[in-house]
This record gives sequence, C-alpha cells and structure tokens, in this order.
Amino acid sequence: MTVLILTSEEDVTADMVVVHLHALGAPVVRLDPADLTSGVALSGEYVHGAFRGHLSSAGRLVSLDGLRSVWMRRPGAAATRAAAPSPWLTEESEQALYGMLRGAQVRWMNHPDAARRARHKPWQLRLAQRSGLPVPATLITTFPQAAREFAERYPDLVVKPVSGVHPQDPPQAVPTSRVAPDADFAAVAYGPTLLQRRIAKRADVRLTAVGSALLAARKPTAPDADPDQVDVRFAPSSGPWQPAEVPPRIADAVRAYLTEAELAYGAFDFAEDADGTWWFLECNQSGQFGFVEVDTGQPIARAIAEWLSRPTSDELPQPVNRTGTRLP
Amino acid sequence: MQPFALNYARPAAELEFATPYTYDSGLQLNVLLDGGIAARDHALLRELGTTTSTAGSKTHFDD
Repeated sequence: MTVLILTSEEDVTADMVVVHLHALGAPVVRLDPADLTSGVALSGEYVHGAFRGHLSSAGRLVSLDGLRSVWMRRPGAAATRAAAPSPWLTEESEQALYGMLRGAQVRWMNHPDAARRARHKPWQLRLAQRSGLPVPATLITTFPQAAREFAERYPDLVVKPVSGVHPQDPPQAVPTSRVAPDADFAAVAYGPTLLQRRIAKRADVRLTAVGSALLAARKPTAPDADPDQVDVRFAPSSGPWQPAEVPPRIADAVRAYLTEAELAYGAFDFAEDADGTWWFLECNQSGQFGFVEVDTGQPIARAIAEWLSRPTSDELPQPVNRTGTRLP
Repeated sequence: MQPFALNYARPAAELEFATPYTYDSGLQLNVLLDGGIAARDHALLRELGTTTSTAGSKTHFDD
C-alpha cells in the first residue's frame, strides 16, 4: 500500500518525511498536481458499478485502490505547468484529481474539506474557545467605531491578517504588528480588520500535533526584546527552539480541537505570558515543522511518516466522520 | 482606501539564492552536489531557512 504525497519538488521539508518512509519500507509516490498533463497523468474508469483509477508520475504507476494515505503537503494548483495552462484546465484537472481521490478509501493528512474550513481564523478562534484554550480578546470588524471602542477597552493591541494570505501585487508580507496607541482606525472601513489584545509574552510556543502525538517547542523571548516585534517569524532570532512539556489541560484541549476540526495534523501557535498561560493564536493545518525539528531534534517527520504508513488493518475498526476522514 | 492592516505591510523578502540541491525523481528527494540527501543536512537547512514558517508563504495560506 502506497503513501501519496502531493507537494512541490523543492519542498525539502517533505523530504524529511520521505526519508523516514523509505526507512520504513513504505512505498511512496510523490507528485505535484501542477505537473498534471506534463509529467503527471491520471485515469479513472467507472464501469459495471466498479471504479478503477490510476496515477502516474516519473515512471511510477499506482492504483487508487493501492493507496494507503494522502499527504496534502504543499500541492501546486493543478496543471499550472502544463504545456498550455489556463484557469479552465486547472479547474478541470483539480476536479478530476481530487474527485477521484475523494472516492478512494484513504486516510488524509488533511482532508481537503477539513483543511479548507480549518484555514478560517475566526472559526479557529471560536473552536479554540469551545475546546478550552485561552484566546486573547479579539475583534474582527469593518466598523471604525467598533475598533475605537475595542482599543479603549484593550489599549495594547496587535493587528494581523484575517486570512493569513500575503498580498502579491506587489509581493508583501503582513506580520502581526503592534498598533500605536494613537492609531487612526478610519481605514478599518476598507477591509475586515483583526485586532487582538497583545499578550506580553515570555515565550513563543509551537505545538505540532501529528495524530494523537503532541510535540511542543518553546522559544523564550529575549529580556531586551523590542516589544513592538510581536511576530516571531519576522523578529531577530533570540535563540533556538527548545523542546517543551505540554501542560495536560492544553493537551486535552488541543486534542478536542483536532477532533472537532477533523484534522490529523495541526501546528498550533501560542504566546506564553508571565504566568505561564499558553494563549492560543492560531492553528495552521499545514504549518511548517522542519525548523522545529532542526532545532529541537523532535521526531516530527518520523511521526508523520508513521501516521501515513500505519497498516490498514489498524484503520478499519475506527469510526469515520462526516467528511470521510478516519479520526486520528 | 487602503485597508487598515496593509498599513503594516512590508516588502516580501524573496529567496535570493539558488538552493544547493536538486530534485532526484528516482529517490523522490532533493540531493546535494556530493550525492548526499539534503534533508539529512540539518545545518544546511537551518542556514537556508527553507523549512521555516515563512517559507512557502507566497503560494500557500498556512505557515
């Protein structure tokens, strides 16, 4: 039974998992949907009540019946590197590929439906609250007056994108940023704005969940850190990430979150305050993990490889949720 | 008419170097010039930052 990995060739983080899959003796087919019709091919036949489907890439041919799991790592948009790409061809190719895969009896990390829903930050915040995770006071609004009133209640705020998408025309990054006390909120009217009470953090925490395994890493905030540098991704490094114990209450809440979200993988970001409380910031359903493993030595890639290659016999008795994903 | 959040935008930092490895479709892995597996060279990965949470932001929602 084969593990199918959908990602780009240059995704060296995926390589970290492929190395372990090779060591486990698990057959792997790795392809980028962007290469459909130009190096990647598919076929599916629905005849006499039965379905037979195949994928091929780089000389490998795999039956969809022979797939054990699908890892949606960093797939490109389908057929964008075809000889004659077009939005129509991309839509056709996405429908064909993912339509067939959705009909296969495979385990997903993560199922496309669950992944799409899990990207919505407002939904994340509500689910985190319901799961028992501390969530900083947050406002998402297009009302300037609501923003002003929120700033009166919570004078120390940060702003961050609602979607997590970075503008591309021109290419820009929008880090989580501290809002000046005298900020003019008039421009809130021109786009949904996410304002959040700033957590005076003594550390950033990245908790990577792989199935039921939880691996946390912590990066202490430097004593002389600039309080305006709130986004660890863009701040000067204060040192390597270090392994951290997951408080039992956080572990229970994270597992509840994953179950409700129907996710097999999630990368949770927390801000740890002076009291040691872990404040939920977000959960990236496809968050990077390589930088954590490189710093901490935590076996995240191995955990992913083991989850993807877990024998089918272990999967059969497990309940199936409404998106067709077996629960982690 | 610029949305409030874009007041905090900055030019995106592009990777300006060529990665010292190439994809080997037989191994389904990226391979260094000396034939080694790039993913096993953690010092190199740390130096390049290709596994960090801002890598891939251009084309994907999730970091």
